[in-house]
Amino acid sequence: MAELLQHLVNGLVLGGTYALLGIGLTLIFGLMNVVNFAHGEFYTLGAYATSAALGLAGAHFFVAVLAAIACGTALGALCEWALLRPLRAESIDTTMLVMIGVWIAMQNGELLIWGGVAKSIPHPFPTAPLVFGPVSIAPLRVFVLVLAAGLIVTAYLLIHTTRLGTAMRATFQDRDTAALMGVRIGRMHTATFAFGSGLAAAAGALLGPVFLAYPSMGDLASLKAFSVVILGGLGNLPGATLGGLLLGVAEEFGAGYVSSGYRDAVGFVIIIVVLLLRPAGLFAKSERIG
Amino acid sequence: MTRRCLVLAALVAAATLAASLNVSAQAPIRIGVIEPLSGPVAASGNYVRMGAEIARDWINARGGVDGRKVELRIEDNKSDPKEAASAAEKLIVRDQVPAIMGAWGSSMTLAAMPKLEEYGVPMVVETSSAATITKRGNPWIFRISPPSEMEALGLEQYVDRLGVRRADFLAVNTDWGRGAISAFGDMLKKKGVAVGAAEYMEQAATDMNAQLTKIKGTGGDTLFLTTAVEQITLVMKQAQEQRLERKIVTTGGSSSPTQLIKQAGAAAEGSYHIVFFMPWFPEAMPDGKLARAFVDEWGKRGHPFEGLTEGFRGHDGIATIAEAIRVAGRDEPKAVRDALWRVSLVGVNGPIKFEKDGPAGKESGQSKPSIFVVQIRDGKVALPDFLAKK
Amino acid sequence: MSCGAPGTPGRPPSAHTGLAAPATTILLALTLPLWLESPYFLHVVIMAGIFGVLALSLNLLLGYTGQLSLGHAAFFGIGAYASALLTLRLEWSFWLALPGAVALAALAGWLIGRLALKLRGAYFVLVTISFAGVVALVSVNWMELTNGPLGLPGVPAPTLGPWSLRGKRAYYYLVFAAVLLAYLVCRRLVGSRIGRAFVALRENEALAESVGVNVTHYLVLAAVVSAAMAGLAGSLYAHYTRFVSPEVFLFSYTVTMVIMVVAGGKGTLAGPLVGALMFTVLPEALRAVVSWQWQMLAYGVLLVLLVVFLPRGVVPAITALRNRRAS
Repeated sequence: MAELLQHLVNGLVLGGTYALLGIGLTLIFGLMNVVNFAHGEFYTLGAYATSAALGLAGAHFFVAVLAAIACGTALGALCEWALLRPLRAESIDTTMLVMIGVWIAMQNGELLIWGGVAKSIPHPFPTAPLVFGPVSIAPLRVFVLVLAAGLIVTAYLLIHTTRLGTAMRATFQDRDTAALMGVRIGRMHTATFAFGSGLAAAAGALLGPVFLAYPSMGDLASLKAFSVVILGGLGNLPGATLGGLLLGVAEEFGAGYVSSGYRDAVGFVIIIVVLLLRPAGLFAKSERIG
Repeated sequence: MTRRCLVLAALVAAATLAASLNVSAQAPIRIGVIEPLSGPVAASGNYVRMGAEIARDWINARGGVDGRKVELRIEDNKSDPKEAASAAEKLIVRDQVPAIMGAWGSSMTLAAMPKLEEYGVPMVVETSSAATITKRGNPWIFRISPPSEMEALGLEQYVDRLGVRRADFLAVNTDWGRGAISAFGDMLKKKGVAVGAAEYMEQAATDMNAQLTKIKGTGGDTLFLTTAVEQITLVMKQAQEQRLERKIVTTGGSSSPTQLIKQAGAAAEGSYHIVFFMPWFPEAMPDGKLARAFVDEWGKRGHPFEGLTEGFRGHDGIATIAEAIRVAGRDEPKAVRDALWRVSLVGVNGPIKFEKDGPAGKESGQSKPSIFVVQIRDGKVALPDFLAKK
Repeated sequence: MSCGAPGTPGRPPSAHTGLAAPATTILLALTLPLWLESPYFLHVVIMAGIFGVLALSLNLLLGYTGQLSLGHAAFFGIGAYASALLTLRLEWSFWLALPGAVALAALAGWLIGRLALKLRGAYFVLVTISFAGVVALVSVNWMELTNGPLGLPGVPAPTLGPWSLRGKRAYYYLVFAAVLLAYLVCRRLVGSRIGRAFVALRENEALAESVGVNVTHYLVLAAVVSAAMAGLAGSLYAHYTRFVSPEVFLFSYTVTMVIMVVAGGKGTLAGPLVGALMFTVLPEALRAVVSWQWQMLAYGVLLVLLVVFLPRGVVPAITALRNRRAS
């Protein structure tokens, strides 16, 4: 029983990290229809930027996290303006290909700049775990979960209650009508991609201290993010969150009770089964936008 | 139009000049190096490369081999067996190297092996641990790193003093991790130790909590951990979070205890590590002066101290090849191969001399490297407590 | 994710623009081992050929039916493992193992087709990724069958009667034959009624269905043929490198395939082959020109530049140039 509870807590924490990765991508992939293979690289950049801010500028941890988010957002905006905008008329495969190029360039750029040795990112939380009966959990992870929840709620409110969010959704639902209504289409595209990338960087800044920062950390993150986004329904923020939690718990129980070698396979099989039963994602109520 | 022609002419002239400047008085000796310089294990591959470069510079400072300078042709295998084979082909055919050092991971080495046989060029294996590499009957392979079985034998004498009664395993799901579980499992069972759980983790995995929760429930007293230093750090931190109270022994020599102390902190306290080089006490190595000189040179070049536990492999590999070329008297692949059977030198790890391994008539060479155990105590690397309180 | 956005009409096979170009290409290709001395260059061309077959197979799904399979490395790997195991464990001849591998890969393609092709777009993509992930993990964990991470070394080279096809020249002709076969199969398929059905599906599925095109049937057919070709490439790979390990399922292989198809020109027949040649030669060229620290970074930057300047791919750009010159 104690083991079960610990597995459950592990799974929820893991799932929370997946959800955090998914919310940025669900905007970029779900709304903008860009297959952003470089999403994991913005995640990596967030971690490295935090490490750099802490090391170089000697900044406080929370300031460093904010700096990392700013970095990710800025680079996202630049990417959209320089690469995606000229290709907007092209097919989805072309934008996918350019993001593959960005992925390769960014990862190897990070390798060149920071080297391949993993970096540990210091954080101000105590390392002794919090103990609740038979279950242990590190304070840092609790912090990450709380902040992740906050980011998810903020993102949701932004998209669904503010004018900016409405403009974003309108742009991707029906571009011409939105333009006629006075929405600045170009700016919406840039804003959405920047916002999504900023969220990815936030995930990296928060998870960097939990795990470690190294150049290829983004590859697995990208895969999980895509799984979570598609599972939850494209463009569906609550869906991505729940999808992330589900995937985390499934993997945890798979590794704990089936086999650790096949751990990821459990996740994949669950994805396949879910999609066969619910072809538009777990939580899709309305049809896809775009 | 003329301006463009002028620019083009200037470029061509510059290129020709640059190319001609490379021709030195005597043709240098080229040694091929294949390592993973990009991808998930880029750190390790680069450490080996740095060690190789130190060996090359030392050899050249002493006048080279028979008066000829040594040049390294370094290729990236991108942690992909297909690339390792392509790199080997390029080095052999285009660069015409008489010998290669590589290729770090066992799959990469295995993928390059058919090329060695096809063209008849020897390769010194500096890191790979899979037993099959020297048992496949490839007479062009010479390994200076220990296969997992040899490593397990190296620990056998300490099992009782460690007080291992019931062991569990957590290893990376590659040939290296699986090989370690199999080799150490057999060795422990022979000594009457009960083997509990054997769990795996994917190479890129960062969350091992599920496996640790499972291991926590077995009631064992020792956890054998085989993976790279980044994952070891994560496992230790997560084990601490789950309050896993037991001895941890890491195998494989890639644990870089210095890095662990820095990144895992208190979570690494008390853990034991099997290493093949002790840069914290170089004088305790078989050739203390050489080891000390290597550590000093490494530090002088600004390389991170934590890389020494892997970087020495690059040095020993190049030193071995250079010695073989010297013994052979010429840099021709078959002569170098024959000479490798005759070399006897002392590297940073210790004495290097190849013995026959594998099917008769097509043996590969396997050296018997020295194996050491260290422990992290009070935030520093020290000799293990069971050795200290003799 | 309908990959045929308006503005990319299906182009007729580029071979229609005269026989001179294809004839010279074939002649050059047939005599290649005679004028290309270095075995290293021959190695690069052989790998390009194997990837050419792979790219053609992915193009069938991506370029013609508009469905992106990001799990295509699974069929490649299944073909490689099947061929290796049949020759190593059951001691079949290569000439039996090859069709065996193709059949097994085709079976896997059928399975995925039937299961996944109820889904569209991103959902289909995710299922293909998941399927590839499961297959990769099975190859790593099922030690008794696949020897796990240690892989299968010593895969025998094919023999034709008394001659061994181990040498590069002989193997080159084998690969060339396979490329030709794959190209011709694609061309016939695309030019036939089935091909037109594919394009109809890609352009407007609902409309196609309303006109009576049996969507699932055609998509599954495309998946089967595509998987079979990928399996063929896998078998050729296994017997050339003579070592198969779980790394054949690496996602980077799928990514490379996608790069080759899209940068070469998806939806054309020559595009994937041009892409395969370009992106097999490029990393090797970078090896020669750039030191190892910059190789992969240069690769990424070059890819980005290529997409920005030639967004439809190389072959469509050349065709457009020719058309403009003609008019």
